[in-house]
Amino acid sequence: MKVNKLIIDFLLSLMEKKKIDAFLLPLKVPSGDYYTYVLTDEKELIEKGKPVPPVMPAGGARALQSLTRLGSLKRKTGIIMHPCQIKAVIELYKMKQVDLENLYLFSFDCPGVFPAEKYIKNPKETEKKFEEGNQNEIRELCKICDKFDMVYVDVYIGIKKENIYLTPKTEKGEEILKDFKLENQPEPEEIKKRRSEAKEKFIEDFEKEIKGPDALLSLFSKCINCHNCMRVCPVCYCRQCFFDSEAFDLSSENYLLRAKNKKALRFPADTLLFHLGRMSHMIFSCVNCGNCEDACPMDIPIGRIFTFMAEKIQKEFDYVPGRDPQERLPLVTYEEEELKWVEKPYTRILRR
Amino acid sequence: MEALKIKKDAESTIKEFLKFLMDKNKVEAVFTLTRMEDGFSYCLIKDKEIISQAVPFYPFMPSNAGKMLSRITLIEPLRKPILAILRPCELRGFIELVKRDQGSTENIFFMSFICPGVFPLKKLSLGYEEELKEYKEKIEKGELSKNIRNTCKACEHFIPYNSDLTISFIGENGKESILIIENEKGENLIQGFEGERIEFEKNFVNMKRERKKERERIIRETEEKGKGLDKFISLFGRCISCHGCSKICPICYCKLCDFDSSSHEIEPSSYEDEVKKRGGIRVPSNVLLYHLGRLIHVSVSCVNCGMCSDICPVDIPVSELFLVASLRVQRLFNYIPGRDYKEEIPLKTFEPEEFTEIAG
Repeated sequence: MKVNKLIIDFLLSLMEKKKIDAFLLPLKVPSGDYYTYVLTDEKELIEKGKPVPPVMPAGGARALQSLTRLGSLKRKTGIIMHPCQIKAVIELYKMKQVDLENLYLFSFDCPGVFPAEKYIKNPKETEKKFEEGNQNEIRELCKICDKFDMVYVDVYIGIKKENIYLTPKTEKGEEILKDFKLENQPEPEEIKKRRSEAKEKFIEDFEKEIKGPDALLSLFSKCINCHNCMRVCPVCYCRQCFFDSEAFDLSSENYLLRAKNKKALRFPADTLLFHLGRMSHMIFSCVNCGNCEDACPMDIPIGRIFTFMAEKIQKEFDYVPGRDPQERLPLVTYEEEELKWVEKPYTRILRR
Repeated sequence: MEALKIKKDAESTIKEFLKFLMDKNKVEAVFTLTRMEDGFSYCLIKDKEIISQAVPFYPFMPSNAGKMLSRITLIEPLRKPILAILRPCELRGFIELVKRDQGSTENIFFMSFICPGVFPLKKLSLGYEEELKEYKEKIEKGELSKNIRNTCKACEHFIPYNSDLTISFIGENGKESILIIENEKGENLIQGFEGERIEFEKNFVNMKRERKKERERIIRETEEKGKGLDKFISLFGRCISCHGCSKICPICYCKLCDFDSSSHEIEPSSYEDEVKKRGGIRVPSNVLLYHLGRLIHVSVSCVNCGMCSDICPVDIPVSELFLVASLRVQRLFNYIPGRDYKEEIPLKTFEPEEFTEIAG
């Protein structure tokens, strides 16, 4: 992809101008069957980088969490990630899991990524499809991602017809782009429109599959409780998930009693509770990246379930995760007048 | 060994037997793989109506059931008797967990069977009618299905340890099943159930031979893929660090894995120092350290159930690599995980003279 080369040249020029000391960017692993993030200041390594890789590099936003949870980096470090992962970085910052000091965030008009499974089966062929701009086989969630440019970055890289367009989005961004001749960013209208329509259709269609407790139960019935979805979620940051904690060590009597009440108790137990619990914890910050769906060994459309919910809930709170680091998480803000339509029936019951 | 010969296929036999146990109040509940409206799942069945949905021999292992039994008995032993039907590796997993104080065998009757193996989970999300047919045909002939998990093909311990009752249906033409009475507990359980008393030897020479051949092949192929540091690194290069392999592992019981703990967090300055030294560093780091660390913790008790390979989102042959390593380690210590409750875990025992050739 010519675009990758152009972006790399741009990153290297920032290093030459001493505006950035090191980069965290995607690189192919030595065996050539996946991508991972590498922190480097070496020209040769950066040249091998693929800022726009065909798969989601291992770790996603968690790579940055692992780098800066204990404090800030001392050198000026450029971070280049897919928009959804940068959004997750911003959410992690709000949750005090990432230190943004000395970081320069870069993202781009995202062509989407291929599911990991597809890539690993045949890396070469998938690379080729990606180069050709294949949009049919990318992650289901990438196909309906229409908010990729609503992301907080210092420099946004527009991509159109094998060209890149740099736009500073912050003062820091303006500072590092000072010496560059900038052109007006073309709007990624066509792709946004297509994905927007696909999303609308998805929301409409998926509602039938998800509505009601029976539908939800059956969607999650295949779950084997591996918690892969949580482990690859870029915003699920708890070291120990509540659902893995002692709170869920239950007595044998408890299990037998529940088996009696339900005639039979499924094992692993409480899988739906886990998913609904996880959902209520992180749905505000869900960036619809699809890592969860990619990692599910049972092919549960978990990313689509969460995206469906996130779309509705985030709209309710007028909240867009990753848009602005100063925007407060809905769950930690208090508003006197809020969600009256939900609360009304409750007050009525009280008055009765 | 004393056994009961029943002139029915295994599925009908087990359903009748479970009904018999519930009717006679011999057990309070039954833990087994069950066919539900929306798929297959392990269930603790309390109601007689649901008993007919039990499918313990269906070639599907959604979790290692040993881990599930540990969930049930972690805090306290069962107060009333239940029957648990597990595959041999699941039962071995449970025994290993009990050795680690993660469960109790009290009030559990164990039933197991001569195991023909299970399909990989991935196969089950696709259509697999043909495969199921082949699986059944092979069982009737006493042969090995070609569609089962690699670790199932390589399985050395498909004849269960520690079961009170063992069912055999391999090579019985699908018309007969044998209920092998392993001990007094089994005898008590089966008392009153109709069938022809026979003597039965658990030979399964063909099955052993076939699996030995497969085991040697899989070990050879895995060594080609993963022997030596370079190859090992390249196999794990695509690991996305989801640690699903540890979460699903019946032996990995720690609530918080050491590799997820704060002791493995790296200071940002250490990352930057490494970059100065090496030019570049993978973030998050220590991917290999996790797998090697887990291997050290687990290999001596690994029951080769194959769950880890099945749930790996990037198709790393984790269970095959663990098979190669664990067989060697277990042989060194003459230890078979799950063979005997009383056998101590090698890592917990001290011998004044041990491995002098290594330790000097």
